[in-house]
Amino acid sequence: MKIKFFANWAAHTIIGAAILSMPAFAQQSPQLSDAEIASVAVTANQIDINNANIAKQKTRNEEVLKFAQTMATDHKAVIDQAVALVTKLGVTPKDNAISKKLLADAAQTEKALHSKNGDAFNKAYIDNEVTYHQAVINVVENVLIPQAQNKQLKELLQSVAPVLHSHLEHAQMIQKQIVK
Amino acid sequence: MKSRWHQYRNSIGWLYILLLLNIITSCTQKKTPKMYIVEIKQMQFQPADLTVQDGDTVAWINHDMVPHDITEEKSKSWTSGPLLPNKSWSMPVTKSADYYCSIHVVMKGRITVQ
Repeated sequence: MKIKFFANWAAHTIIGAAILSMPAFAQQSPQLSDAEIASVAVTANQIDINNANIAKQKTRNEEVLKFAQTMATDHKAVIDQAVALVTKLGVTPKDNAISKKLLADAAQTEKALHSKNGDAFNKAYIDNEVTYHQAVINVVENVLIPQAQNKQLKELLQSVAPVLHSHLEHAQMIQKQIVK
Repeated sequence: MKSRWHQYRNSIGWLYILLLLNIITSCTQKKTPKMYIVEIKQMQFQPADLTVQDGDTVAWINHDMVPHDITEEKSKSWTSGPLLPNKSWSMPVTKSADYYCSIHVVMKGRITVQ
């Protein structure tokens, strides 16, 4: 029992620590070019699609499954818009410190999610969706939008923010249901 | 003199008939149904609360980059099905209803039929 509790605690700590370090990143505000901002936007959305795909394979909970399907559809729509815009602008997304950190954290999260099943998986996936969306909203609103130079890129990021807030609210709603 | 009085009386008579016809027509004819627009933007129904008359039509237009739907909330008695970006869906309204987006369940709206 103690071992199981410790394993759960350790997994949550890994997910939480990895993701919660994002606000610190936002506070340091590294200066990003539009090409780097595009890279962060595409990477952040792709990570959530990958997590949704894991959830679609593993969950038996109808609410969690519906949420995962929505995440996959919506974040794909955002990527499509971002790719269309950078193609139009002739900008090639460029790796940077934030996109690399996102990918490194995502690898740990995926590993933790793969190690869980049943209710424990549902809880880990939804908990991560809450912390991940909080972190991404922070980066989008405090780093990407203020630093975007191109007007169309800035407008795209501004239109993405309400989508992220809606996802966060939805994830928090499921989180409360799971706790019950 | 008599002929003038006749003309005057006939005119008044016709005026009364026209007035009567007008009253009957306006009582029997229904008001022309109106069309109302609800815009879906920034993950919200705008306006979220709408008051209409029985038989009016409400059209929803999706301005967001993600698909939405419009679904009656309590018993799921009607739904638009998935509404892709830049698409619209409309229906005549006969009953008040709370509705939501079943894809993004935090998005809610209400139609009140007077």
